[in-house]
Amino acid sequence: MIRLENVTKSYSTEVTALQDASFDVAKAEFVFLVGPSGSGKSTLLRLMNRQEKPEKGEVWVAGRNINDMPDAKVPHLRRNIGNIFQDYKLLPNKTVFENVAFALEVIGRPKHVIRQQVPAVLDLVGLAGKQERFPHQLSGGEQQRVSIARAFVNRPLILLADEPTGNLDPTTGEGIMRLLDRINKTGTTVVMATHDQRIVNMMRKRVIQLDRGIIVRDQARGVYE
Amino acid sequence: MFSRLSYTFREMWASLRRNFTLTAAAIITAAVSLFILGLTLLVLRGFDNQLSQWSGGVEIIVYVENDATPEQLQVIRDAIASTPDVIDVDRLEYLDAEQSMEEARRLFAGDPETLGLLSVENIPTQFKVVPQADVSSELLQTITSQYKEDLPKVLRVASPSKQIEVLDTLRGVVSFVLYLITLILLFSAVLLIWNTIRTAMFARRREIEVMKLVGATNWFIRVPFMLEGLIQGLVGALFASGGVLTANWYWTRTVQSFPPDSGFGAFVVTGNYPQWVVFWLVVLGMVVGAIGSGTAASKFLDV
Repeated sequence: MIRLENVTKSYSTEVTALQDASFDVAKAEFVFLVGPSGSGKSTLLRLMNRQEKPEKGEVWVAGRNINDMPDAKVPHLRRNIGNIFQDYKLLPNKTVFENVAFALEVIGRPKHVIRQQVPAVLDLVGLAGKQERFPHQLSGGEQQRVSIARAFVNRPLILLADEPTGNLDPTTGEGIMRLLDRINKTGTTVVMATHDQRIVNMMRKRVIQLDRGIIVRDQARGVYE
Repeated sequence: MFSRLSYTFREMWASLRRNFTLTAAAIITAAVSLFILGLTLLVLRGFDNQLSQWSGGVEIIVYVENDATPEQLQVIRDAIASTPDVIDVDRLEYLDAEQSMEEARRLFAGDPETLGLLSVENIPTQFKVVPQADVSSELLQTITSQYKEDLPKVLRVASPSKQIEVLDTLRGVVSFVLYLITLILLFSAVLLIWNTIRTAMFARRREIEVMKLVGATNWFIRVPFMLEGLIQGLVGALFASGGVLTANWYWTRTVQSFPPDSGFGAFVVTGNYPQWVVFWLVVLGMVVGAIGSGTAASKFLDV
């Protein structure tokens, strides 16, 4: 599903965010990217949805080399990738329903599809009945669920999650992890950057560890260390 | 398709409302610049009318030396009357020394010194010649210069060719200044629209970021903003058009109340010309809006 081949990315001559990184992620796999801040986790995620391009190496997503992809094709790539963020990135002036519907609306999905899919995905993430609330009326965990619903409503092949539990208390974080696990079980590939040790140890999924841009460990059913 | 359209228009209106003051500034600047452009075109048209068409009030004066004999005067009169398609023979008028002196007393009432130099014995007498309405200024000039060369005792010909030159120079200056002002104002309208769109996009940068991440195309994101700029230009142009048509109507009405020989008759612009001006103002307004917003939208889309 995702393949990186000798990928190097630097933001300036001094800072190398990623050096010679190579790995494969299979379909329906769940992968943790771990490591301290600045180790290159977010850069990896940004390379996978073409928010960044590497200096060297190739990034393949769903069988396509996305570095060579013309800019005009990038939106179509991104329709297959859901994104979840630590700060949720919800639109404060839109309701829960509208926030999720927005993702379908802006890729031109017809109204009847939106009316059908949005309640279904809100039900899936456990927010049925809170459709008309605004983000500020929700708890952090609920806001992250809205963000997951938005990322998943289009049934993407891949979910990229950047510290999704970073702003949440442990119990709420666990709830989010159970949700991501459920989504993963539907066949969606999940790549999640985190430095939440407890969660990594609890989930026992594949762990790719980074240190100053270099992959230092790639372990199946790993722990944080 | 329909949901896209409704999305586009909904976002456009929301953004126009949100940025009300900037939007108003952009519209007003566009309106003022286009209004001045419209006026410029009408004023220049008026000048052209005046330059190409003689309608009452303009006279050529042929000054004849005081000591010309009646025979010589007859020669002059005959020569002038020999071109009835250039000269309105019925209105040809001769002022003898006595009458010329009387007119001089009136014209130089504020200049007793000059008047003191004149007397019935030395004042030039004059033929007042009225050109036909549709005579071109070139032909008129040729004819009047012939008077001076060919006719006896002709002292000087005061022809409107001087006035034509003055008018022509005036037209040049006026058009230069007005076009310059228009250009500067149009440029500032483009900048203001550009800025409005930039502000609108900045206000919605989070939304745009989300849109890009969920796979909205750049065109999808851009179109509401471009439409917003287009509307600003269009609304500005409509205000300007209203202003131009009103100004033209008011001017026409004012001129019609002048005495018929005021000389301003030709400055009235009639026919389809005002509508033609308005049409181009609207087109230009939309172009200005599209350029401003289109460049802004493209520049700020790399979120």
